[in-house]
Amino acid sequence: MNDLKGKQFFITGATGGIGMVVVEECLKRGAVVFATGRNESVLDAQILAHPEFTFIPADLTNPDDLSSLIKLLPPLDGVLFGAGIIDPCPIKFIQQKHIDAIFSINFDSICLLTSLLAQKKLLKDKSSLVFLSSVSSEFPYKGGALYAASKAALEAYAKGIALEFSPKGIRANSIRAALVETAMFEKTKNALTTEEIAEVVSAYPLGIGAPLDIANAVLFLWSDLSSWMTGSVLNLDGGLLLNSKK
Amino acid sequence: MEIIDFIKVIEDEFEDLTPGTLSPYSVFRDMDGWSSMHALIFVALIDTTYDVLLTGEELKSCITIKDLFDITVLKINGGGINA
Ligand SMILES: NC(=O)c1ccc[n+]([C@@H]2O[C@H](COP(=O)([O-])OP(=O)(O)OC[C@H]3O[C@@H](n4cnc5c(N)ncnc54)[C@H](OP(=O)(O)O)[C@@H]3O)[C@@H](O)[C@H]2O)c1
Repeated sequence: MNDLKGKQFFITGATGGIGMVVVEECLKRGAVVFATGRNESVLDAQILAHPEFTFIPADLTNPDDLSSLIKLLPPLDGVLFGAGIIDPCPIKFIQQKHIDAIFSINFDSICLLTSLLAQKKLLKDKSSLVFLSSVSSEFPYKGGALYAASKAALEAYAKGIALEFSPKGIRANSIRAALVETAMFEKTKNALTTEEIAEVVSAYPLGIGAPLDIANAVLFLWSDLSSWMTGSVLNLDGGLLLNSKK
Repeated sequence: MEIIDFIKVIEDEFEDLTPGTLSPYSVFRDMDGWSSMHALIFVALIDTTYDVLLTGEELKSCITIKDLFDITVLKINGGGINA
């Protein structure tokens, strides 16, 4: 798990809180990393200059960007599907534009990307695909119905991939994360009162997560240590769900 | 757009509010039973009614109904915190 020398990984959402740390951890271990996101400027100059790092800017909801991106990728040992948005919206106000906004990146783009990766034979035999889902797929929160539904759809899709790609030993697993301290959490905090933030945080027996907690699980799912795992959903929640029945 | 109409839109939405209780200087987070759901409803209501999407930061910077109204008008006219 610690030595990824020469292995080739592709990371979406690499400009986000979780993706960025996965990039760092991969580079530390000698991997060759291809990464994408829209806002390259947030990436550390040292990472951008790393000889084993290639950044390909793309809006994954744009079909032209997707097809340009795919042309620049090598055969891969692992992929992290990390790009996603949260955009909460109470049910009563949902319009088609809200559904499109969430599903186009959290779900549709991932279906299209995995299909292209397969068509172009960019997934090596025994490669491992990891999808970033959320505990809300099973335990939704008010205002988050669309986000939760997009992640539930993603988990089901990942299981479909696990089944279809199993003849080549390609594995697909989802990480169902609870709150991790990133820009996404900061956004959520803006809508919460101080008391609500304290209440949210206190529901986590082990505290809320750090991006490295997720990165470690991604490395595990990419490694041979998880070679018998496919179609699984890994809860990573600092114990949050222990309290879910209260 | 007048602030009085803006207040009416809010009062229509929150059925528990007795019409006439909100003034431009009401602190909206002091509304009875205020929660994060109310914040989401404010953002969605303003989006649906005025086609203005307030960011979390913009919402956080508002204290009174008038602050919300002012930022909505500013954004209708092409402004905003980041503009
Ligand atoms: N943080 C949490 O608490 C948490 C909990 C459970 C699950 N997750 C999931 O984990 C994943 C990563 O979350 P995070 O916390 O790292 O979020 P983040 O910091 O907000 O990063 C989101 C990433 O998605 C990318 N993205 C969004 N829309 C895109 C588009 N149209 N095209 C290409 N890239 C796009 C962003 O790129 P740009 O910024 O460059 O546009 C950014 O790299 C998400 O799928 C999220 O749902 C997060």
